Amino acid sequence: MGDKSPLELEVAALIIETLNLEEVKPEDIAPEEPLFGEGLGLDSIDALELALAISTRYGFQLRSDDSENARIFASLRALSRHIALNRAK
Amino acid sequence: MPERGSAAAMASLTWIGIHIGRWASRLLLYPITAYFLVTGTLTRRGSRLYLERLLGRRPTWVELFRHLHCFSATILDRVFLLAGRFEQFDVQVHGGQLITDQIRTGQGCLLLGAHLGSFEVLRAVGIIYKHLPVKVLMNTDHNQVTTRFFDSLNPDIAATIIPIRGPQTLLKVKESLDQGYLVGVLGDRVVENDKVARCRFLGAEADFPAGPMLLASLMKCPVILFFGLYRGANRYDIYFERLADKITVDRQQREQDIQTWTQRYAQRLEHYVRSAPYNWFNLYDFWATEGKPSIYGRVRFTRHSGA
Repeated sequence: MGDKSPLELEVAALIIETLNLEEVKPEDIAPEEPLFGEGLGLDSIDALELALAISTRYGFQLRSDDSENARIFASLRALSRHIALNRAK
Repeated sequence: MPERGSAAAMASLTWIGIHIGRWASRLLLYPITAYFLVTGTLTRRGSRLYLERLLGRRPTWVELFRHLHCFSATILDRVFLLAGRFEQFDVQVHGGQLITDQIRTGQGCLLLGAHLGSFEVLRAVGIIYKHLPVKVLMNTDHNQVTTRFFDSLNPDIAATIIPIRGPQTLLKVKESLDQGYLVGVLGDRVVENDKVARCRFLGAEADFPAGPMLLASLMKCPVILFFGLYRGANRYDIYFERLADKITVDRQQREQDIQTWTQRYAQRLEHYVRSAPYNWFNLYDFWATEGKPSIYGRVRFTRHSGA
């Protein structure tokens, strides 16, 4: 448990950098732990900021009407998987 | 906010309104308000704390009554406004040109208001009457019965609500702004775990949500303030005022910049509060800071150490 793929580490670093989480290191974010609400404790503003950063870095948009959102935002692992499937760069 | 205790009272008030009409039900507001005033301990306390700040002395029972009466009157009017019964109202719009000009640019913008007076007067006039491209961000989960009732009054207006629900909420706002919508948000009430900016308001420090200014800064969109003030009888004044063409924030001192912008909003809010004192509908201890998350709530991350 706790082993992260290179992409997961990269996304963790992106989250930290984008949201200015100064005291968190990429390896601190447990891959299966919730990002929003409980766990890392991000909120809707963080989600928007993260979505903008993901769009710049990986070249695709997260959509509000995606029925998979609850799953996509569930954890670092789920978000990274979604990025891997949809990235345009 | 007396959401819980008075949800039933609000529902009955709206039911009465629909069935006996505006003027007849307005007569009933007097005994209903009196009942509220006597039984609604928390609401009365919220009203008293606010009026004390505003007046600099303990408010009289008459003033408390007028405050709650204004609150119930605007709740009753929601029914008629959302049902599109405009012939019953005298609504003056101030600064409406700002909105016309903004829509002409095709660029989305944030309409920032408060729990001051009536949000519905803006929605009714803007969406039902003028068919403007407006959406509103609203918490619809805490009172589903009332929400469903209002949805049934006007399904068109229901479709313009962006419910506050989950991480994708602001993605929806972003998409609406990208499509050129004016998105209405209320910027004065902090809910649990919100990021906050502490501002000076009516002579003391109070927490305001930092969300609206963070949102505007991320979206690089203009911010127009709006207030729908109830002036008694059937009169409403809607005010529009430009706060910023763009909220610019220096990344190195983001908290500071967001606080400065939120303070500007709080200042204008105070101006309108003084112009219509009984329109203030945050009926709880607005200035209480104890137990609220610190700015940006980043302390939450300390929980992570056990991983």
